[in-house]
Amino acid sequence: MSVLARVFESAGLTTVAVALVREHAERVRPPRVLWVPFYFGYALGKPDDPDFQHQVIAAMLATLEAEAGPVLADYPEEAGPIGMPQASEVAEASNGNSSAAKPLDAAGEVTALRGYYERWQEQRGRTAVGITGIPQRRFRGIIRFLEAYAESDDADMDERPADVSVPQFARYCADDLKAFCYEARMAQRPGDNEMDIHRWFWGETAVGALIDSITQRLNATGDAKLQATAYGLSR
Amino acid sequence: MPRLSILSEVQRRMLEFFPCMEADGVPWTPLAKPLSESTVAIVTTAGLHLRDDRPFNRDHPGGESTYRVLPGDADVADIVQSHFSIGFDRTAIYRDINITYPIDRLQELAERGVIGSVATNNYSFMGALRDCTVVAEQTGPEVAQLLKDEGVDLVLLTPT
Repeated sequence: MSVLARVFESAGLTTVAVALVREHAERVRPPRVLWVPFYFGYALGKPDDPDFQHQVIAAMLATLEAEAGPVLADYPEEAGPIGMPQASEVAEASNGNSSAAKPLDAAGEVTALRGYYERWQEQRGRTAVGITGIPQRRFRGIIRFLEAYAESDDADMDERPADVSVPQFARYCADDLKAFCYEARMAQRPGDNEMDIHRWFWGETAVGALIDSITQRLNATGDAKLQATAYGLSR
Repeated sequence: MPRLSILSEVQRRMLEFFPCMEADGVPWTPLAKPLSESTVAIVTTAGLHLRDDRPFNRDHPGGESTYRVLPGDADVADIVQSHFSIGFDRTAIYRDINITYPIDRLQELAERGVIGSVATNNYSFMGALRDCTVVAEQTGPEVAQLLKDEGVDLVLLTPT
């Protein structure tokens, strides 16, 4: 991101950037950058808070006043979560808790969550689901594919485009399923914060357990490329 | 980001040793006209793209150094994210795309007269690249030229 700022500025465009890692901005030296003390995923600080986002943008634009650079300004106010739980830790803690409610099978779970997901979509007018291009009403097919992929590399799905490898497609499927489940949960329990939702997904759902089982199988292969895919599925 | 000191050891070390493209000098282009007359674009490294566009794909050599066009008048409901990294919290963008792609905020600034206008096109790259050579030498300059051709004066760069 800071590299692009330098490329654009060299080409004659004026740039202002947001940096999440101050140490990287110090090294790459973009012309004008605002460091923000927010967690990854929260570049403008607070979702659904236009006023706060405008304050961050105003701080970005304020760097335009400098007559020489580099300008590295610090945003003064902290906001949002300070971290995210590791999927593997949540899953492990949940497995050790024998009283935890065990979920339905993953396909049944997707069906059970559908009403909440559709409520979210209706309320928000948008959804992050859509990387695979497979409509959510056919997600039971994605589940069947991932269940097979959790067992063997031979699994495949007719909807996979020819130029997308099976591991890459599995990643797209996992991303779509995660977005579906998270959005459903946010509609179901609007008061839950990010941490509650991560813990629910990785600790209590059959879909989370399915994705984690694929991660474990790919990690066990010893193949670096598959392990990279595994890292992208859950960590 | 939170200060490195509060992250896990693994994440902190990964970030400390991340292969940044370091440089000495600083390119500098002052804004040529008042902000209230400037055309502003967003370029994000959040791995966003239109729902009908190709997701970012690591199978292709250099696939992670490509970019996607986000038309300024695209409905945000038509924009999705296929970022490779899972080192960020996606609940924020599930809730509100403006958290990383503040297109609604930019349109509000144009309505208020703070900026001149929102660009015809915005652009999206993949972030967290360990090798930025192709972006620095090829796709980045390509997008710079497109932005200039489209009359852009100022670029807001946002990560995810």
